[in-house]
Amino acid sequence: MARLSLDGVSYWYPAMERPALSDVTLTVAPGEVVALVGSVGAGGSTLLLVVAGLAPRVVGGRLTGDVKRDTEVAIVLPTPWTQVSGMAFTVWDEVAFGPANLGWPRERIAAAVDRSLARLDIAALAPRDPATLSGGELQRAILAGALAMEPRLLLLDEPTAELDPAGARACWRLVRALAREDGTSVVVATSDLDAVPELADRVVWMDRGRLRRAGSPAEVLADEALWREGPGGPAVARAWRAAGCPESGSVPLTVADAVGRLR
Amino acid sequence: MTAALRFDGVAFSYGGAPVLQDVSFALESGERVALLGRNGAGKSTLTRLVTALRHPDAGAVWVGDWDTRGRRPEELARRVGSVFQHADQQLFARTVREDVAFGPRALGLGVQECARRTATALEALELASVADEHPYDLPPPFRKLAALAGALALEPAVLVLDEPTSGLDRALQARVARALAMRAAAGVTLLVVTHDLGFAAETLDRALVLDAGRLACDEPLAGLLASPVRLAPLGLAPPPLVELSLALDLPGTPVRAAAVAVALAVRCRGE
Repeated sequence: MARLSLDGVSYWYPAMERPALSDVTLTVAPGEVVALVGSVGAGGSTLLLVVAGLAPRVVGGRLTGDVKRDTEVAIVLPTPWTQVSGMAFTVWDEVAFGPANLGWPRERIAAAVDRSLARLDIAALAPRDPATLSGGELQRAILAGALAMEPRLLLLDEPTAELDPAGARACWRLVRALAREDGTSVVVATSDLDAVPELADRVVWMDRGRLRRAGSPAEVLADEALWREGPGGPAVARAWRAAGCPESGSVPLTVADAVGRLR
Repeated sequence: MTAALRFDGVAFSYGGAPVLQDVSFALESGERVALLGRNGAGKSTLTRLVTALRHPDAGAVWVGDWDTRGRRPEELARRVGSVFQHADQQLFARTVREDVAFGPRALGLGVQECARRTATALEALELASVADEHPYDLPPPFRKLAALAGALALEPAVLVLDEPTSGLDRALQARVARALAMRAAAGVTLLVVTHDLGFAAETLDRALVLDAGRLACDEPLAGLLASPVRLAPLGLAPPPLVELSLALDLPGTPVRAAAVAVALAVRCRGE
Protein backbone atom coordinates (compact mmCIF):
# COMPACT_ATOMS: atom_id res chain seq x y z
CA MET A 1 0.00 0.00 0.00
CA ALA A 2 1.35 3.38 -0.95
CA ARG A 3 1.90 5.79 1.86
CA LEU A 4 0.88 8.66 -0.37
CA SER A 5 -0.94 8.67 -3.65
CA LEU A 6 -1.95 11.58 -5.84
CA ASP A 7 -4.29 10.89 -8.71
CA GLY A 8 -4.88 13.54 -11.36
CA VAL A 9 -4.36 16.39 -8.90
CA SER A 10 -4.79 19.97 -10.06
CA TYR A 11 -4.68 22.99 -7.81
CA TRP A 12 -5.39 26.69 -8.25
CA TYR A 13 -4.24 29.38 -5.81
CA PRO A 14 -7.00 31.83 -4.89
CA ALA A 15 -7.92 34.18 -7.75
CA MET A 16 -5.48 32.54 -10.17
CA GLU A 17 -6.73 31.38 -13.54
CA ARG A 18 -3.75 29.19 -14.36
CA PRO A 19 -3.39 26.12 -12.15
CA ALA A 20 -0.22 25.84 -10.08
CA LEU A 21 -0.50 22.05 -10.42
CA SER A 22 -1.95 20.27 -13.46
CA ASP A 23 -3.01 16.66 -13.43
CA VAL A 24 -0.25 15.32 -11.18
CA THR A 25 -0.24 11.60 -10.50
CA LEU A 26 2.35 10.19 -8.10
CA THR A 27 2.69 7.51 -5.44
CA VAL A 28 5.25 7.27 -2.65
CA ALA A 29 6.06 3.96 -0.96
CA PRO A 30 7.03 3.44 2.69
CA GLY A 31 10.70 4.28 3.23
CA GLU A 32 11.01 5.92 -0.16
CA VAL A 33 12.78 9.25 -0.71
CA VAL A 34 11.36 11.24 -3.62
CA ALA A 35 13.12 14.41 -4.71
CA LEU A 36 11.10 17.11 -6.46
CA VAL A 37 13.26 19.18 -8.77
CA GLY A 38 12.26 22.01 -11.06
CA SER A 39 12.75 25.60 -12.05
CA VAL A 40 11.45 28.34 -9.83
CA GLY A 41 7.65 28.34 -9.91
CA ALA A 42 7.46 24.80 -11.31
CA GLY A 43 5.11 23.57 -8.58
CA GLY A 44 7.29 21.58 -6.16
CA SER A 45 6.46 23.75 -3.14
CA THR A 46 2.79 23.80 -4.08
CA LEU A 47 2.73 20.02 -4.34
CA LEU A 48 4.10 19.78 -0.79
CA LEU A 49 1.45 22.19 0.51
CA VAL A 50 -1.27 20.07 -1.13
CA VAL A 51 0.12 16.83 0.29
CA ALA A 52 0.39 18.40 3.74
CA GLY A 53 -3.26 19.41 3.51
CA LEU A 54 -2.38 23.10 3.88
CA ALA A 55 -3.63 23.84 0.38
CA PRO A 56 -6.47 24.48 -0.09
CA ARG A 57 -7.49 24.15 3.59
CA VAL A 58 -5.31 26.98 4.94
CA VAL A 59 -4.05 28.69 1.79
CA GLY A 60 -7.43 28.71 0.03
CA GLY A 61 -7.86 28.02 -3.67
CA ARG A 62 -9.36 25.00 -5.39
CA LEU A 63 -8.27 21.38 -5.68
CA THR A 64 -9.44 18.67 -8.04
CA GLY A 65 -8.35 15.03 -8.19
CA ASP A 66 -7.53 12.70 -5.36
CA VAL A 67 -4.97 12.95 -2.54
CA LYS A 68 -4.71 9.85 -0.33
CA ARG A 69 -2.42 9.49 2.67
CA ASP A 70 -2.38 6.60 5.08
CA THR A 71 -0.64 8.61 7.77
CA GLU A 72 -0.14 11.98 9.41
CA VAL A 73 2.52 14.22 7.90
CA ALA A 74 5.02 16.78 9.09
CA ILE A 75 6.19 19.56 6.78
CA VAL A 76 9.22 21.84 6.96
CA LEU A 77 8.61 25.02 4.98
CA PRO A 78 11.37 26.94 3.17
CA THR A 79 10.68 29.82 5.55
CA PRO A 80 11.57 28.35 8.96
CA TRP A 81 11.00 31.65 10.74
CA THR A 82 7.29 31.41 9.84
CA GLN A 83 7.07 28.02 11.55
CA VAL A 84 8.14 29.12 15.01
CA SER A 85 5.26 28.52 17.41
CA GLY A 86 5.83 31.78 19.24
CA MET A 87 4.77 29.89 22.38
CA ALA A 88 8.18 28.70 23.52
CA PHE A 89 10.99 30.49 25.33
CA THR A 90 13.54 27.77 24.71
CA VAL A 91 14.48 25.66 21.72
CA TRP A 92 13.67 22.56 23.80
CA ASP A 93 10.09 23.76 24.32
CA GLU A 94 9.82 24.77 20.66
CA VAL A 95 10.76 21.27 19.55
CA ALA A 96 8.32 19.84 22.14
CA PHE A 97 5.45 21.94 20.80
CA GLY A 98 4.39 19.46 18.11
CA PRO A 99 4.56 16.30 20.26
CA ALA A 100 2.77 18.10 23.12
CA ASN A 101 -0.08 18.90 20.74
CA LEU A 102 -0.31 15.25 19.85
CA GLY A 103 -1.23 14.63 23.48
CA TRP A 104 1.65 12.29 24.21
CA PRO A 105 2.65 11.47 27.80
CA ARG A 106 5.37 13.65 29.24
CA GLU A 107 8.09 10.95 29.17
CA ARG A 108 7.48 10.16 25.52
CA ILE A 109 7.65 13.86 24.60
CA ALA A 110 10.93 14.30 26.50
CA ALA A 111 12.49 11.26 24.85
CA ALA A 112 11.39 12.35 21.36
CA VAL A 113 12.66 15.90 21.84
CA ASP A 114 16.05 14.82 23.16
CA ARG A 115 16.47 12.32 20.34
CA SER A 116 15.49 14.90 17.73
CA LEU A 117 17.88 17.52 19.09
CA ALA A 118 20.68 14.95 19.08
CA ARG A 119 19.92 13.87 15.51
CA LEU A 120 20.17 17.47 14.31
CA ASP A 121 23.28 17.96 16.45
CA ILE A 122 21.73 20.93 18.27
CA ALA A 123 21.48 19.62 21.84
CA ALA A 124 23.63 22.60 22.83
CA LEU A 125 20.95 24.99 21.58
CA ALA A 126 18.23 23.49 23.82
CA PRO A 127 18.20 26.29 26.43
CA ARG A 128 18.42 29.13 23.87
CA ASP A 129 15.54 31.49 23.06
CA PRO A 130 14.40 30.63 19.50
CA ALA A 131 14.32 34.37 18.73
CA THR A 132 18.12 34.56 19.15
CA LEU A 133 18.99 31.78 16.70
CA SER A 134 20.77 32.35 13.39
CA GLY A 135 19.00 31.35 10.18
CA GLY A 136 20.66 27.94 9.99
CA GLU A 137 20.22 27.19 13.68
CA LEU A 138 16.52 27.95 13.36
CA GLN A 139 16.19 25.73 10.30
CA ARG A 140 17.70 22.87 12.30
CA ALA A 141 15.35 23.56 15.23
CA ILE A 142 12.26 23.53 12.99
CA LEU A 143 13.40 20.28 11.37
CA ALA A 144 13.97 18.82 14.85
CA GLY A 145 10.41 19.85 15.76
CA ALA A 146 9.05 18.02 12.72
CA LEU A 147 11.06 14.86 13.48
CA ALA A 148 10.00 14.90 17.13
CA MET A 149 6.44 14.14 15.99
CA GLU A 150 7.81 10.94 14.46
CA PRO A 151 5.96 11.39 11.18
CA ARG A 152 5.90 8.49 8.75
CA LEU A 153 5.60 10.92 5.87
CA LEU A 154 7.99 13.86 6.03
CA LEU A 155 7.72 16.76 3.58
CA LEU A 156 10.76 19.00 3.22
CA ASP A 157 10.90 22.19 1.16
CA GLU A 158 14.50 23.31 0.62
CA PRO A 159 15.54 22.08 4.08
CA THR A 160 19.19 23.00 3.56
CA ALA A 161 18.70 26.53 2.19
CA GLU A 162 19.97 28.13 5.40
CA LEU A 163 22.46 25.45 6.44
CA ASP A 164 26.23 25.67 6.24
CA PRO A 165 27.81 23.12 3.86
CA ALA A 166 28.68 20.66 6.62
CA GLY A 167 25.16 21.03 8.02
CA ALA A 168 23.61 20.46 4.60
CA ARG A 169 25.53 17.21 4.18
CA ALA A 170 24.51 16.09 7.66
CA CYS A 171 20.88 16.90 6.86
CA TRP A 172 20.92 14.74 3.72
CA ARG A 173 22.56 11.88 5.63
CA LEU A 174 19.82 12.19 8.23
CA VAL A 175 17.10 12.01 5.55
CA ARG A 176 18.66 8.80 4.20
CA ALA A 177 18.84 7.35 7.70
CA LEU A 178 15.20 8.21 8.44
CA ALA A 179 14.12 6.39 5.29
CA ARG A 180 16.36 3.38 5.70
CA GLU A 181 16.23 2.84 9.46
CA ASP A 182 12.81 4.19 10.42
CA GLY A 183 10.98 3.51 7.16
CA THR A 184 9.97 7.17 6.95
CA SER A 185 8.79 8.27 3.52
CA VAL A 186 10.24 11.61 2.48
CA VAL A 187 9.21 13.99 -0.28
CA VAL A 188 11.78 16.74 -0.59
CA ALA A 189 11.85 19.74 -2.90
CA THR A 190 15.44 20.82 -3.38
CA SER A 191 17.63 22.86 -5.66
CA ASP A 192 20.72 21.03 -4.39
CA LEU A 193 21.00 18.82 -7.48
CA ASP A 194 24.48 17.68 -6.48
CA ALA A 195 23.04 15.97 -3.42
CA VAL A 196 20.09 14.31 -5.16
CA PRO A 197 21.88 11.28 -6.71
CA GLU A 198 22.85 9.94 -3.29
CA LEU A 199 19.72 11.20 -1.56
CA ALA A 200 16.75 10.11 -3.62
CA ASP A 201 15.32 6.77 -4.73
CA ARG A 202 13.27 8.58 -7.31
CA VAL A 203 13.44 12.02 -8.90
CA VAL A 204 10.38 13.91 -10.11
CA TRP A 205 10.93 16.80 -12.49
CA MET A 206 8.16 19.38 -12.13
CA ASP A 207 7.73 21.80 -15.03
CA ARG A 208 5.11 24.55 -15.04
CA GLY A 209 2.83 22.68 -12.69
CA ARG A 210 3.08 19.35 -14.49
CA LEU A 211 5.01 16.23 -13.70
CA ARG A 212 7.32 16.23 -16.69
CA ARG A 213 9.47 13.24 -15.91
CA ALA A 214 9.89 10.76 -13.06
CA GLY A 215 12.46 8.05 -12.69
CA SER A 216 15.71 7.03 -11.06
CA PRO A 217 18.28 9.77 -10.38
CA ALA A 218 20.36 8.42 -13.26
CA GLU A 219 17.45 8.69 -15.70
CA VAL A 220 16.20 12.12 -14.77
CA LEU A 221 19.39 13.96 -13.77
CA ALA A 222 21.37 12.95 -16.87
CA ASP A 223 18.63 14.32 -19.15
CA GLU A 224 20.01 17.36 -20.95
CA ALA A 225 16.47 18.71 -21.30
CA LEU A 226 16.50 19.05 -17.49
CA TRP A 227 19.75 21.01 -17.71
CA ARG A 228 18.50 23.30 -20.47
CA GLU A 229 14.82 23.77 -19.69
CA GLY A 230 14.71 22.73 -16.04
CA PRO A 231 16.64 23.57 -12.91
CA GLY A 232 20.05 22.44 -14.24
CA GLY A 233 22.01 19.27 -13.57
CA PRO A 234 24.62 17.98 -11.12
CA ALA A 235 27.88 19.90 -11.48
CA VAL A 236 29.92 16.74 -12.02
CA ALA A 237 27.67 15.52 -14.85
CA ARG A 238 27.79 18.90 -16.58
CA ALA A 239 31.57 19.12 -16.33
CA TRP A 240 31.92 15.56 -17.63
CA ARG A 241 29.78 16.29 -20.67
CA ALA A 242 31.39 19.70 -21.26
CA ALA A 243 34.76 17.94 -21.28
CA GLY A 244 33.52 15.47 -23.89
CA CYS A 245 34.56 12.52 -21.72
CA PRO A 246 33.28 9.08 -22.79
CA GLU A 247 29.93 8.22 -21.20
CA SER A 248 29.66 4.52 -22.01
CA GLY A 249 25.89 4.56 -21.61
CA SER A 250 25.53 7.13 -18.84
CA VAL A 251 27.10 10.29 -17.52
CA PRO A 252 28.54 10.16 -13.97
CA LEU A 253 26.44 12.11 -11.47
CA THR A 254 28.74 12.11 -8.45
CA VAL A 255 32.41 12.60 -7.70
CA ALA A 256 32.79 8.95 -6.70
CA ASP A 257 31.22 7.81 -9.97
CA ALA A 258 33.45 10.08 -12.07
CA VAL A 259 36.59 8.99 -10.25
CA GLY A 260 35.62 5.32 -10.65
CA ARG A 261 35.36 5.71 -14.42
CA LEU A 262 38.84 7.15 -14.75
CA ARG A 263 40.45 4.34 -12.81
CA MET B 1 44.41 54.71 -0.82
CA THR B 2 41.34 54.39 1.41
CA ALA B 3 39.85 50.91 1.54
CA ALA B 4 36.27 50.54 0.28
CA LEU B 5 35.39 48.76 3.53
CA ARG B 6 37.50 48.32 6.62
CA PHE B 7 36.90 46.60 9.96
CA ASP B 8 39.33 47.66 12.61
CA GLY B 9 39.38 45.48 15.76
CA VAL B 10 35.59 45.16 15.75
CA ALA B 11 33.74 43.55 18.65
CA PHE B 12 29.99 43.24 18.97
CA SER B 13 27.36 41.51 21.08
CA TYR B 14 23.56 41.67 21.27
CA GLY B 15 23.90 41.99 25.04
CA GLY B 16 24.91 38.43 25.90
CA ALA B 17 27.87 36.43 24.68
CA PRO B 18 30.16 38.18 22.17
CA VAL B 19 29.06 37.62 18.56
CA LEU B 20 32.10 39.23 16.91
CA GLN B 21 35.54 39.60 18.46
CA ASP B 22 38.58 41.49 17.23
CA VAL B 23 37.58 41.37 13.56
CA SER B 24 39.92 43.28 11.25
CA PHE B 25 40.11 43.31 7.45
CA ALA B 26 40.19 45.77 4.57
CA LEU B 27 38.54 45.37 1.16
CA GLU B 28 39.60 47.35 -1.88
CA SER B 29 37.43 48.67 -4.66
CA GLY B 30 36.31 45.93 -7.08
CA GLU B 31 37.21 43.03 -4.79
CA ARG B 32 34.89 40.02 -4.85
CA VAL B 33 34.78 38.61 -1.37
CA ALA B 34 32.97 35.61 0.13
CA LEU B 35 32.04 35.79 3.80
CA LEU B 36 31.88 32.18 4.96
CA GLY B 37 31.45 30.20 8.15
CA ARG B 38 29.17 27.80 9.96
CA ASN B 39 25.65 28.71 11.09
CA GLY B 40 25.83 31.13 14.00
CA ALA B 41 29.42 32.21 13.28
CA GLY B 42 28.41 35.88 13.07
CA LYS B 43 28.19 36.43 9.29
CA SER B 44 24.79 38.11 9.20
CA THR B 45 25.69 40.20 12.23
CA LEU B 46 28.80 41.42 10.43
CA THR B 47 26.66 42.58 7.48
CA ARG B 48 24.41 44.52 9.87
CA LEU B 49 27.48 46.44 11.07
CA VAL B 50 28.41 47.37 7.49
CA THR B 51 24.97 48.83 6.87
CA ALA B 52 24.95 50.62 10.26
CA LEU B 53 21.87 48.70 11.41
CA ARG B 54 24.16 47.94 14.35
CA HIS B 55 27.29 49.63 15.64
CA PRO B 56 30.43 48.01 17.05
CA ASP B 57 30.94 47.80 20.82
CA ALA B 58 34.66 48.21 20.24
CA GLY B 59 36.79 49.02 17.23
CA ALA B 60 35.48 50.77 14.11
CA VAL B 61 33.82 50.05 10.78
CA TRP B 62 34.89 52.27 7.91
CA VAL B 63 33.03 52.55 4.60
CA GLY B 64 35.46 54.53 2.47
CA ASP B 65 36.35 57.52 4.64
CA TRP B 66 33.17 57.30 6.73
CA ASP B 67 33.23 55.88 10.23
CA THR B 68 29.81 54.21 10.57
CA ARG B 69 29.62 55.24 14.22
CA GLY B 70 26.88 57.79 14.68
CA ARG B 71 25.65 57.34 11.11
CA ARG B 72 22.18 56.14 10.32
CA PRO B 73 21.44 53.30 7.85
CA GLU B 74 19.83 55.76 5.41
CA GLU B 75 23.10 57.72 5.22
CA LEU B 76 25.08 54.54 4.62
CA ALA B 77 22.72 53.71 1.74
CA ARG B 78 24.66 56.27 -0.34
CA ARG B 79 27.62 53.93 -0.25
CA VAL B 80 26.35 50.48 0.68
CA GLY B 81 23.63 48.47 -1.02
CA SER B 82 22.45 45.44 0.88
CA VAL B 83 20.19 42.46 0.53
CA PHE B 84 19.09 40.70 3.70
CA GLN B 85 18.98 36.99 4.25
CA HIS B 86 15.21 36.92 3.86
CA ALA B 87 15.15 39.41 1.05
CA ASP B 88 11.77 38.35 -0.20
CA GLN B 89 10.43 40.17 2.85
CA GLN B 90 12.20 43.43 2.26
CA LEU B 91 9.82 44.58 -0.48
CA PHE B 92 6.87 46.87 0.17
CA ALA B 93 5.86 48.74 -3.00
CA ARG B 94 2.95 47.88 -5.27
CA THR B 95 5.12 47.01 -8.25
CA VAL B 96 8.60 45.65 -8.66
CA ARG B 97 9.59 48.81 -10.52
CA GLU B 98 8.42 51.10 -7.70
CA ASP B 99 10.23 48.96 -5.20
CA VAL B 100 13.49 49.17 -7.12
CA ALA B 101 13.03 52.92 -7.60
CA PHE B 102 12.50 53.52 -3.90
CA GLY B 103 16.22 53.60 -3.08
CA PRO B 104 17.36 56.11 -5.71
CA ARG B 105 14.33 58.29 -4.93
CA ALA B 106 15.18 58.24 -1.22
CA LEU B 107 18.70 59.39 -2.10
CA GLY B 108 17.06 62.55 -3.51
CA LEU B 109 18.09 61.94 -7.11
CA GLY B 110 16.27 63.59 -10.01
CA VAL B 111 13.42 61.89 -11.84
CA GLN B 112 15.51 61.02 -14.89
CA GLU B 113 18.41 59.65 -12.88
CA CYS B 114 16.02 57.54 -10.79
CA ALA B 115 14.42 56.16 -13.93
CA ARG B 116 17.80 55.40 -15.48
CA ARG B 117 19.13 53.59 -12.41
CA THR B 118 15.90 51.66 -11.99
CA ALA B 119 15.86 50.55 -15.61
CA THR B 120 19.53 49.58 -15.52
CA ALA B 121 19.08 47.50 -12.37
CA LEU B 122 15.96 45.76 -13.71
CA GLU B 123 17.78 45.00 -16.94
CA ALA B 124 20.86 43.65 -15.13
CA LEU B 125 18.68 41.00 -13.49
CA GLU B 126 16.38 40.52 -16.50
CA LEU B 127 13.35 41.66 -14.52
CA ALA B 128 11.89 44.06 -17.11
CA SER B 129 9.12 41.61 -17.98
CA VAL B 130 7.84 41.47 -14.39
CA ALA B 131 8.55 45.11 -13.50
CA ASP B 132 4.87 46.03 -13.35
CA GLU B 133 3.79 43.02 -11.29
CA HIS B 134 3.07 43.17 -7.58
CA PRO B 135 6.16 41.75 -5.81
CA TYR B 136 4.06 39.37 -3.72
CA ASP B 137 2.42 37.91 -6.82
CA LEU B 138 5.86 36.58 -7.78
CA PRO B 139 7.51 33.45 -6.37
CA PRO B 140 9.95 34.23 -3.51
CA PRO B 141 13.06 33.79 -5.68
CA PHE B 142 11.91 36.59 -7.97
CA ARG B 143 11.27 38.78 -4.95
CA LYS B 144 14.85 38.10 -3.98
CA LEU B 145 16.04 39.28 -7.39
CA ALA B 146 13.83 42.35 -7.03
CA ALA B 147 15.46 43.14 -3.68
CA LEU B 148 18.86 42.74 -5.29
CA ALA B 149 17.81 45.06 -8.12
CA GLY B 150 16.86 47.59 -5.43
CA ALA B 151 20.37 47.37 -3.99
CA LEU B 152 21.96 47.70 -7.46
CA ALA B 153 19.82 50.78 -8.18
CA LEU B 154 21.55 52.62 -5.32
CA GLU B 155 24.72 52.26 -7.41
CA PRO B 156 26.70 51.88 -4.21
CA ALA B 157 30.46 51.49 -3.80
CA VAL B 158 29.93 48.37 -1.70
CA LEU B 159 27.34 45.61 -2.12
CA VAL B 160 26.66 43.44 0.92
CA LEU B 161 24.55 40.41 0.09
CA ASP B 162 23.34 37.79 2.55
CA GLU B 163 22.71 34.46 0.78
CA PRO B 164 21.76 36.02 -2.58
CA THR B 165 21.34 32.64 -4.32
CA SER B 166 19.55 30.46 -1.77
CA GLY B 167 16.31 29.13 -3.25
CA LEU B 168 17.30 30.19 -6.78
CA ASP B 169 17.58 27.65 -9.57
CA ARG B 170 20.69 27.60 -11.73
CA ALA B 171 19.30 29.92 -14.38
CA LEU B 172 18.48 32.57 -11.79
CA GLN B 173 21.82 32.01 -10.02
CA ALA B 174 23.54 32.67 -13.32
CA ARG B 175 21.66 35.96 -13.65
CA VAL B 176 22.86 37.01 -10.21
CA ALA B 177 26.42 35.95 -11.01
CA ARG B 178 26.45 37.96 -14.25
CA ALA B 179 25.01 41.07 -12.61
CA LEU B 180 27.54 40.90 -9.77
CA ALA B 181 30.49 40.32 -12.11
CA MET B 182 29.51 43.42 -14.11
CA ARG B 183 29.34 45.59 -11.01
CA ALA B 184 32.64 44.29 -9.67
CA ALA B 185 34.30 44.99 -13.02
CA ALA B 186 33.06 48.57 -12.65
CA GLY B 187 34.82 48.83 -9.28
CA VAL B 188 32.06 47.88 -6.85
CA THR B 189 33.25 45.86 -3.85
CA LEU B 190 31.26 42.68 -3.26
CA LEU B 191 30.89 41.13 0.19
CA VAL B 192 28.73 38.03 -0.18
CA VAL B 193 27.58 35.77 2.63
CA THR B 194 26.96 32.37 1.13
CA HIS B 195 26.78 28.70 1.97
CA ASP B 196 26.84 27.85 -1.73
CA LEU B 197 30.55 27.31 -2.21
CA GLY B 198 30.05 26.29 -5.85
CA PHE B 199 28.52 29.69 -6.55
CA ALA B 200 31.29 31.35 -4.52
CA ALA B 201 33.98 29.51 -6.49
CA GLU B 202 32.54 30.74 -9.80
CA THR B 203 31.85 34.32 -8.74
CA LEU B 204 34.21 35.41 -5.96
CA ASP B 205 37.98 35.51 -5.36
CA ARG B 206 38.75 36.12 -1.73
CA ALA B 207 37.50 34.34 1.39
CA LEU B 208 36.85 35.74 4.83
CA VAL B 209 35.85 32.96 7.21
CA LEU B 210 34.29 33.60 10.60
CA ASP B 211 34.53 30.98 13.30
CA ALA B 212 32.69 31.65 16.56
CA GLY B 213 32.86 35.39 15.94
CA ARG B 214 36.55 35.56 15.08
CA LEU B 215 38.13 35.95 11.68
CA ALA B 216 39.70 32.54 11.08
CA CYS B 217 40.82 33.03 7.45
CA ASP B 218 41.43 35.88 5.06
CA GLU B 219 42.98 34.51 1.87
CA PRO B 220 42.37 33.61 -1.79
CA LEU B 221 39.18 31.56 -2.05
CA ALA B 222 40.44 28.99 -4.58
CA GLY B 223 43.27 27.82 -2.32
CA LEU B 224 41.01 27.52 0.70
CA LEU B 225 38.37 25.54 -1.21
CA ALA B 226 41.03 23.07 -2.28
CA SER B 227 41.95 22.33 1.33
CA PRO B 228 39.33 20.00 2.87
CA VAL B 229 41.39 19.55 6.00
CA ARG B 230 41.17 23.26 6.73
CA LEU B 231 37.52 23.58 5.64
CA ALA B 232 36.11 20.83 7.86
CA PRO B 233 36.73 22.47 11.27
CA LEU B 234 35.11 25.66 9.90
CA GLY B 235 31.83 23.87 9.05
CA LEU B 236 32.67 24.00 5.33
CA ALA B 237 33.31 21.38 2.66
CA PRO B 238 34.67 21.63 -0.89
CA PRO B 239 31.94 21.96 -3.55
CA PRO B 240 31.56 18.96 -5.92
CA LEU B 241 33.80 20.23 -8.70
CA VAL B 242 36.61 21.03 -6.27
CA GLU B 243 36.15 17.60 -4.74
CA LEU B 244 36.46 16.13 -8.23
CA SER B 245 39.51 18.24 -8.97
CA LEU B 246 41.14 16.99 -5.76
CA ALA B 247 40.09 13.35 -6.18
CA LEU B 248 41.56 13.25 -9.70
CA ASP B 249 44.52 15.38 -8.70
CA LEU B 250 43.87 17.66 -11.70
CA PRO B 251 46.87 19.91 -12.40
CA GLY B 252 46.62 23.22 -10.55
CA THR B 253 43.48 22.05 -8.71
CA PRO B 254 40.99 24.11 -10.78
CA VAL B 255 37.85 25.22 -8.89
CA ARG B 256 35.75 26.87 -11.61
CA ALA B 257 33.54 24.77 -13.90
CA ALA B 258 35.15 25.86 -17.16
CA ALA B 259 38.67 25.15 -15.90
CA VAL B 260 37.64 21.81 -14.40
CA ALA B 261 36.10 20.77 -17.75
CA VAL B 262 39.29 21.65 -19.62
CA ALA B 263 41.47 19.66 -17.22
CA LEU B 264 38.99 16.80 -17.27
CA ALA B 265 39.02 16.70 -21.08
CA VAL B 266 42.80 16.32 -21.03
CA ARG B 267 42.53 13.54 -18.46
CA CYS B 268 39.84 11.66 -20.40
CA ARG B 269 41.94 11.74 -23.56
CA GLY B 270 44.62 10.05 -21.49
CA GLU B 271 47.22 12.77 -22.05
